[in-house]
Amino acid sequence: MNQIERFKAMVEMRFFDEACLEGVPTMEIHGELHTGIGQEAISAGLLGHLKNSDALVSTHRNHYHALIKGVNPYRLMSEIFEKKTGICQGFGGHMHPFSLKQNFSATGIVGQSLPVALGYAYAFKMRKGDSLAIGVIGDGAANHGTFHETLNIAGAWKLPLLVLVENNGYGISVPISKVLATETIAERAKSYSAWGKCVNGDDPDIVSEAVEEAVDHIRSNQGPAILEAVCNRFRGHYEGDTDHYRSKTEKHNMLKGDPINTYSEKLLSLKVLTENEIQNIVQTSKQKMFGLLKRVRGEKMPLPETALNYIFCEKTDG
Amino acid sequence: MANNDKIERNLNGSEAIAEAIFQEMQQDDNTILIGEDVGKCGGVFGASRNCFSEFGENRVRDMPISEMTFTGMGVGMAMSGLRPIIEIMFADFLGVCLEQIYNAIGKIHYMSGGTVKMPIVVKTAAGNIGSAAQHSQCLWGTLAHLPGLKIVVPSSLYDHKGLMASAIRSNDPVIFFEHKELLLKRARSFLSNPIVPKKTYTVPIGKAVKPRIGSDITLVTLSYSVELALESAAEVAKEGIDVEIIDLRSLVPLDIETVLQSVRKTQRLLVVDEDYQSFGVSGEIITRVVENIEPTSLKQIKRHAVPDVPIPAALSLEQVVVPNYESIKNMLIMMAKGS
Repeated sequence: MNQIERFKAMVEMRFFDEACLEGVPTMEIHGELHTGIGQEAISAGLLGHLKNSDALVSTHRNHYHALIKGVNPYRLMSEIFEKKTGICQGFGGHMHPFSLKQNFSATGIVGQSLPVALGYAYAFKMRKGDSLAIGVIGDGAANHGTFHETLNIAGAWKLPLLVLVENNGYGISVPISKVLATETIAERAKSYSAWGKCVNGDDPDIVSEAVEEAVDHIRSNQGPAILEAVCNRFRGHYEGDTDHYRSKTEKHNMLKGDPINTYSEKLLSLKVLTENEIQNIVQTSKQKMFGLLKRVRGEKMPLPETALNYIFCEKTDG
Repeated sequence: MANNDKIERNLNGSEAIAEAIFQEMQQDDNTILIGEDVGKCGGVFGASRNCFSEFGENRVRDMPISEMTFTGMGVGMAMSGLRPIIEIMFADFLGVCLEQIYNAIGKIHYMSGGTVKMPIVVKTAAGNIGSAAQHSQCLWGTLAHLPGLKIVVPSSLYDHKGLMASAIRSNDPVIFFEHKELLLKRARSFLSNPIVPKKTYTVPIGKAVKPRIGSDITLVTLSYSVELALESAAEVAKEGIDVEIIDLRSLVPLDIETVLQSVRKTQRLLVVDEDYQSFGVSGEIITRVVENIEPTSLKQIKRHAVPDVPIPAALSLEQVVVPNYESIKNMLIMMAKGS
């Protein structure tokens, strides 16, 4: 996967979430929304390393992972906007998208993606294929008991599991540095006989290189890997979070290092892209995602009389 | 009372369940069993005996003491096409993995708009067996409160095998509550149906059964209390009190029709539940009865359950909080006198 593709992916992801933001003040998205804005480089770094049969289990901040895994953006945005055309017909919403076809799922409960990914990994190993499972977590979930339980099992049985930690520095308001016993999360790897690395999560090339290493390790049957990618969460934890716990200076400095700008400058200086080409990509992506938004807004919500559907798949009236 | 001395297969509840698991695993390679001590040990109550040696470590896997994670693994396994049976050794430990049960297993079919099925059985040993507060709980009422989970609670030996087979074949998640007394009780001492055919068979989930027909009082109960109720009913029959017993078999789905038919006939209802009383099974059954039958046409409604206390250690204390043969008999006599 080349750098241009990574850049395009980052820009598309950014505009996807910016389009979603439009639905918050209008109450079209009437619950929580957690965007990945600022964290695009990590998902872009996954590009080209995953097979369709690989599983990815994500978190409350899952849009980018769904897109990278190949979930249809129109149906994903429809789900986020609670529409019948959504991948879950509006029953799941933005924290609970499921797509069996892409082996993609998510959970809204912090830490709970890892056991589910481990279940996939167990099944893959049992079937002797070379598929792997990725469990995505944030830095907050690294302190959940599932982190230890999952990695211990994966390490003990050499299961094909990649734990991808998007370390954006905060669990809502609590800085990870205040609640972590070690310098990094990845250095726990040795406790689990796992591969581990902590990298700059703002540069998709660096992430991609690390993902390649991790995936090679896993696919060659050497057991699990922990890849920690350090990044920034540009907005509050959720839309509506006043984010008063971070200083203005901190936020100012953070935004100066926008990974999309940094990467476009890098590609300019490497002469991979010209200024014109970059502007083209930006405009095309914006049109694409806001075009989706327009279509999604025209879609219908699920019918009220279907609210009791799907509790069970088999008849329960005896 | 049945004379069971001639029953050929003097199985206990755990053997009946192990036979169902064994036969279902033979029929479907995607069915796997995970849990603590389910492998070589065959389950601490023996409910997975013979499975490890037949199906091997990949399909019968001893888990580390990590209930939260191995329950969640069941979700990923199910999404990848497997049909996991997850053993949680004691029902009391459900708290450790409840998150994956009620937020994932019970909700994913709904949240996914019907696109992702969860063919998972969570089997667990419930009920009092003298092990005090943290190893004696039933908790089926707690789980039945949560949407998306079928709650199966077998009583007869026949049902132990047949309902487990149905649970494993179900494409919906099933929480299967065994009772420790029944896991260890043998066919020849069972009062309810003790015959377990060798061949595979299923018992449909959601149909109650009446192990005793009567005309005076409807006694609705489940699990081990069915055995106690049968014993008590036989005793009070000597005094001319004719009790009809309904074994619910499952709480979700709940076969309220069978209960209503009986209560319309007897006009007296007693719900016996070994689980905690408040906000639970007895309240739900009684509510559904009075929602469907004009309350003024009912003569008596009573319930008998654990009075919202932890199960005490000392036998002298336990006997006054857990429904037992004597206490159920006394309730029946009291109700008969009151009419």
